[in-house]
Amino acid sequence: MSAKPGLWCDSINGNDMLQKKICLLGAFSVGKTSLIRRFVNSMFDARYFTTVGVKVDKKVVTVSSEEVMLLIWDISGEDEFQRMSASYLRGAAGYVVVVDGTRPKSYNTALAVQQRAVNVLGDVPAVTAVNKVDLVDSWVFTREQEDNLKQKGSVLYTSAKTGENVEQLFEVLARAIL
Amino acid sequence: MNSILSGVIQSFDMVALCVQGDGRFQLLGQATPWFNELFAGSAPPGALRLEGKSLFLDNFLVDAREHWGARKEGSLSSGPFLESGLGQGDHALEARALLVEGQCVLVIVNLGQSYEVNRKLLQAARQNLLNQEILELEVSKRTVAIRDRQLELAARLIYAAGFRDEETGAHIKRIGLYSGEIAAQLGWSPYAVDDIRTAAPMHDIGKIGIPDKILKKPGPLSASEFTIMKTHASIGGEILGASEVPMIQMAAEIASNHHECWNGRGYPRGLYGEHIPEAARIVAIVDVYDALVHERVYKPALPEEQALAIMAKSVGIQFDPRIFEVFLANIDTMRAIREEVKDEN
Ligand SMILES: Nc1nc2c(ncn2[C@@H]2O[C@H](COP(=O)(O)OP(=O)(O)O)[C@@H](O)[C@H]2O)c(=O)[nH]1
Ligand SMILES: [Fe+2]
Ligand SMILES: [Mg+2]
Repeated sequence: MSAKPGLWCDSINGNDMLQKKICLLGAFSVGKTSLIRRFVNSMFDARYFTTVGVKVDKKVVTVSSEEVMLLIWDISGEDEFQRMSASYLRGAAGYVVVVDGTRPKSYNTALAVQQRAVNVLGDVPAVTAVNKVDLVDSWVFTREQEDNLKQKGSVLYTSAKTGENVEQLFEVLARAIL
Repeated sequence: MNSILSGVIQSFDMVALCVQGDGRFQLLGQATPWFNELFAGSAPPGALRLEGKSLFLDNFLVDAREHWGARKEGSLSSGPFLESGLGQGDHALEARALLVEGQCVLVIVNLGQSYEVNRKLLQAARQNLLNQEILELEVSKRTVAIRDRQLELAARLIYAAGFRDEETGAHIKRIGLYSGEIAAQLGWSPYAVDDIRTAAPMHDIGKIGIPDKILKKPGPLSASEFTIMKTHASIGGEILGASEVPMIQMAAEIASNHHECWNGRGYPRGLYGEHIPEAARIVAIVDVYDALVHERVYKPALPEEQALAIMAKSVGIQFDPRIFEVFLANIDTMRAIREEVKDEN
């Protein structure tokens, strides 16, 4: 059996809507799970509940009057304890790199993770989410870092807490994929 | 084979299946309720088609079939994954592909309690890392705050020294930035680079000890006036001397030695070559550069090309040739600093 990039036949509901796999990547605790929760369930929890293992969520978005089902892979953060398995990325039509504007370390992880994604997936669309914009007072990212991220593609300033730019984040990626 | 696995299967909450020729799966032993719910459904017993039930498992089966195909030793793990069932809460599962007596076997384990235990351990470890990050951030914030205070103190000290017209705030700031850039290019540590950025602007601090009638004299100085003027270097060295703060120590070295020449014909001590502290050799170059390319009451600004041509004549005489080369190699950055920090008027 071979993987069909970004396509998956949803035999459970017999639906043949267009489906695209996307992945959320980045350091731990940057808000990957929270962004998905906000987008899929319109919820937010301020408590930190670290993700172990992979969870796949689905949500339908409409892009230029076409419906697409996003298959959203929450790939648990990469750190000293856990590495991102390259096979989780297989077949992804695009990905979101999440960084936390209040944590300088998450920027370095993002660059590393992005590089690994490029190695596995090649030139598929990618969007960077600079998350936790609601925490302006603790913002540590420099202009230079932000410009650097912008050179690699679209950058959206998001907040899973307030919902700011979260819908747009997934829409921008979906649009780039189609 | 059933005998090998059945004991293991029963002691864990797991399901084992063997792969058939047509790629479908045959249960070995009992199915579990969660397995039926997630993967088997109401399918009649017998061969199962597993693809299409779980996005994650589908993805893993690609790797698994490769693993079986290669007849590799050992087992291939999918890593943990979460599937939502009918009830509330997710099932934490892990799949493994292995060969048992030549048979391709897929094992799906429900991690149950052990998943939560592991998750909590990882959570604690990550929380620790986060706390450490917060601490590091706090320390670096305070370091920046201390640097800012040092810089401000230095600026006020320079102001108190009664700088002449040319020693504008912008000039002082640029001297620090140029020097830091060159020091970085020379391979100095980031700490030392930070130090010279603050220390270099104080090179003329000793002018506080020079009488106004000499310091602010519009015309050229007489020989005796110039002798007095030259004492600003050693006065500066004394003001800043005998400190235990590395940045101030560097500032003292720079103040004492920024008029020494590479050929030994400078003042106050007539040091030559590498006997002159490197920090002072850097400042000697950028101080002249900045003075030449900016307008002063008594002279217009020179075009950069012309300034560099004049300076080139002093290489090996006043300036360290190696540092001058580094300076030239980074002239674009020097220019950018000028653009960034302009004379205010
Ligand atoms: N203030 C704020 N907190 C957030 C935001 N997004 C996530 N968090 C918090 O950051 C922590 C880590 O979030 P999580 O989604 O688990 O990060 P993940 O490890 O990348 O999946 C949690 O305590 C979240 O509540 C945000 O936009 N603003
Ligand atoms: Fe001087
Ligand atoms: Mg998570």
